[in-house]
Amino acid sequence: MRVVIAEDNALLREGLVLLVQSAGHEVAGVASTGPEILPLLLEHRPDAAVLDVRMPPGFRDEGLRAALDARESLPDLPVLVLSQYVEETYAAELLGGGARGVGYLLKDRVGRVDEFLDALERVASGGTALDPEVVTELLSRRRKDSPLETLTAREREVLQLMAEGHDNATIAKSLVITERSVHKHIGNVFTKLELPPTEGGHRRVRAVLAYLNG
Amino acid sequence: MDAAIRRAWLATRYLLIGAGVSLACYLMVGLLLLGLAATLLVVGAGILPETVQTVRRFASFERRRVGARTGEGVPEAYLPLTGPLAERLRHATTDPATYRDLRWVLAQLLYGLVLWYLSLLLWVPALIVDGIWCGVLGRRPVVLPVIEVLADLSCSWTRALLQPPPGADLAQRVEQLTETRAGAVAAHGAELRRIERDLHDGTQARLVALSMRIGLAKRAYDRDPEAARKLLDDAQDQAEQALAELRHVVRGIHPPVLTDRGLDGAVRALAASSGLTVEVSADGVADGPRAPAAVEAAAYFVVAEALTNAAKHSGADTAEVALSRMDGKLRVLVRDHGRGGADESAGSGLVGVRRRVAALDGTVSLTSPVGGPTEIEVELPCAW
Repeated sequence: MRVVIAEDNALLREGLVLLVQSAGHEVAGVASTGPEILPLLLEHRPDAAVLDVRMPPGFRDEGLRAALDARESLPDLPVLVLSQYVEETYAAELLGGGARGVGYLLKDRVGRVDEFLDALERVASGGTALDPEVVTELLSRRRKDSPLETLTAREREVLQLMAEGHDNATIAKSLVITERSVHKHIGNVFTKLELPPTEGGHRRVRAVLAYLNG
Repeated sequence: MDAAIRRAWLATRYLLIGAGVSLACYLMVGLLLLGLAATLLVVGAGILPETVQTVRRFASFERRRVGARTGEGVPEAYLPLTGPLAERLRHATTDPATYRDLRWVLAQLLYGLVLWYLSLLLWVPALIVDGIWCGVLGRRPVVLPVIEVLADLSCSWTRALLQPPPGADLAQRVEQLTETRAGAVAAHGAELRRIERDLHDGTQARLVALSMRIGLAKRAYDRDPEAARKLLDDAQDQAEQALAELRHVVRGIHPPVLTDRGLDGAVRALAASSGLTVEVSADGVADGPRAPAAVEAAAYFVVAEALTNAAKHSGADTAEVALSRMDGKLRVLVRDHGRGGADESAGSGLVGVRRRVAALDGTVSLTSPVGGPTEIEVELPCAW
């Protein structure tokens, strides 16, 4: 696949390029400042974009804004946003409007090469990759009488991984259980949260995230 | 004649209340001696500042009366009697105003009673003499105005005794600023030490461990690839934890979302992740120049702490946050509709908020009656 990368730190930029190329993907273009991003995306029309949130000239949230702008002109462009820290609000903005192919990860995750590349491919194919820290925060909100309180520890683990965007096979592998029991746990979670059962992987994730964001 | 009688009557009433204050002064002298003795015996050191505070109340009462009668107020300049006991004691005994008050107490004890007594004595001749002189002969009253003169005399003596010397309120302000600045410097120092410790004990130590594991992995690489792999796994864990710690330290210094989105956006982000339904209003904060970074950070931590408490303890579902840009200050108000009864001494969070706000010369007021609502209001001086 063809990827556009936007990152202002030269070390990290080179690292990301190497990483993406090592997985056999093509880096179509790189941007090192905020204003460069959108024209670059429009020029190359890549299969996915990897964007840093904080970019020159303002060093605020230029990358995130570019991602949101890009969605206006290229609605199907999968975007993976990287950041030095995560904010729930940013996740909500990125996931808003039923967008497909969205990722929001801490920069630290780049170190886990396989997992990072897996997340990139998931996003490129229209899926979701949400940082575990965002999901943990979403799950730790205390609302009184929340149905979340009725979940078992195992069901919470499954919900956490599901909200991060993983499919059943990956969830089964990381929890060392069978796919069948993952399926069963997911069924229980949906019943307890009173969500309509959805089979499609990405739609299922969106339903869960919409619930947690609610 | 009627007008003269009314004026004399008002003067007598003024002197009567003054006589009451004199009697109170008598009690206060006793209390002061008792407080002094108790302080010297150490056991009752708390009594003295309380007594001084009571004396101040009476003095303020007299200042207001003089202001009401003469139409010209008497300014007040006291060092605040707040904080820990040692500080209250120090302020109570070193404030020159305390000794000014004391001088007034002793003087008022005498002239308050004497002037009132004289005014009573004068009423008999006044009614007789002025009744003839003024009522029958139609001349101007002569004795009734003397009663007024007595009250005026009381006023000017009280004013002379209670008036702070010129520049006293400035001196008080300087004292206050010196203290808050010392507090700010101390808080800043403590903050630097905390950051240094976090970085030194946490991140730095982790990076050393990380480098060590990579070194070991290099040694093991050829003869035991499996062990090398395990060491590298460990090293990666260490690196990730070091990053998480750094993020935590950075958030504590200056939350990055403030830089990205400004105070308005950062507070909305807090509200969105609080787990409560929060109504945010930002009156004039979002537009125009931003407040200084330290002020924004303090306001952010106030809102974060208040919303955390509301979500954890108040039982409320909803809360309001109001930021307003005012002349020379930023006002932050957080109100929840929970069960109230917040106990400031129970948690350390509010103490931290108070320290942070005080370091910026701001004020915090918390009201939380049982049954709610809980309201915390913070004002931070700043140039916009």
